[in-house]
Amino acid sequence: MEPAEAEFLAEKELVTIVPNFSLDRIHLIGGDLGPFNPGLPVEVPVWLAINLKQRQKCRLIPPEWMDVEKLEEIRDQERKEDTFTPMPSPYYMELTKLLLNYASDNIPKADEIRTLVKDTWDTRIAKLRLSADSFVRQQEAHAKLDNLTLMEINTTGTFLTQALNHMYKLRTNLQPGESAHSQDF
Amino acid sequence: MAAVSSEGTEADSDGGSEELVLTPAQLIRSLEQAWLNEKFAPELLESKPEIVECVVEQLDHMEANLKRAKRGDLKVSVHRMEIERIRYVLSSYLRCRLVKIEKFFPHVLEKEKSRAEGEPSILSPEEFAFAKEYMANTETYLKNVALKHMPPNLQKVSLLKSVPKPNLDSFVFLRVLERQENILVEPETDEQREYTIDLEEGSQHLIRYKTIAPLVASGAVQLI
Repeated sequence: MEPAEAEFLAEKELVTIVPNFSLDRIHLIGGDLGPFNPGLPVEVPVWLAINLKQRQKCRLIPPEWMDVEKLEEIRDQERKEDTFTPMPSPYYMELTKLLLNYASDNIPKADEIRTLVKDTWDTRIAKLRLSADSFVRQQEAHAKLDNLTLMEINTTGTFLTQALNHMYKLRTNLQPGESAHSQDF
Repeated sequence: MAAVSSEGTEADSDGGSEELVLTPAQLIRSLEQAWLNEKFAPELLESKPEIVECVVEQLDHMEANLKRAKRGDLKVSVHRMEIERIRYVLSSYLRCRLVKIEKFFPHVLEKEKSRAEGEPSILSPEEFAFAKEYMANTETYLKNVALKHMPPNLQKVSLLKSVPKPNLDSFVFLRVLERQENILVEPETDEQREYTIDLEEGSQHLIRYKTIAPLVASGAVQLI
């Protein structure tokens, strides 16, 4: 899966905005939104929030976890544990990127948040590489990957599964009996 | 919220399927699930004509409504954006299936031929026509370009043998939607022994597609 597709899915997550216009409820195919009243917070999907923000029709309220103290805690926890810790949002990386790119003026300490999330991400990807390595070495047939997010899985996933498939092919062809025919002259 | 059923869609499309009663929101969610599963599964999955038809119907209905609305309205642009997003998922899903049909066409058609009466088809009528035509065109092309210049005993080529099969042994990532017990994991090497695992709801796994293929079809797991 492309990173853009993971981002597309992340855009369905809800965020709170404070609109500066008024509009009745909108009946979208995927559910109702609104009503919108100036100054009253309302939940909308990220794709709409970013669009309204770009048209300067709203102010964005960052998700609760997008906060320096909370993220520091998450980063430290992630560094301390050997396993993957649960993330505050299944799309934490995508949401950080989207919201900071389009609404950094509404998010306090945006730069620090960016660094913290990047640090957490790096720690997790390093762990993921290590566990992928041991998975391959021990020739496991099954792995449990709780707490990994879609973006993380798809960063290393395609490469890992392809490598595993190649190795499987090489290994099954090595088995005696099957290769015997090709050795016959 | 209004219920979407298969009534009102053309009746000839899919005879035996049970009636779907979904809210539009659930309908979109099932389209997205089908999309992701199709994206990650190595083989062509069962077609979902009811979902595709209902989504198209919803989109057409919404577009017709928007034509009547006045231009420049904020509401209209929000609706348009949502339509574009759904249309993207729908076309990506259909395109993904076409790519697989082109890749595995002899096997897909073979499977369709050996399908028992009453079993759901893996191809929609349109996809079936496409696969058949693709097969015929490939055969004609091979014949015109090379085969007819070959000695008569070499003029036959079996597409079933020469086109690679989908690799069902490939590894996939999945998230469990409904708890499953006693899934048998086959060993990778001769020294290892097979063992069973339980799939807890909400957990995520990396495993061979072959092991869990029936669970993808039944909707108990979601490929990611």
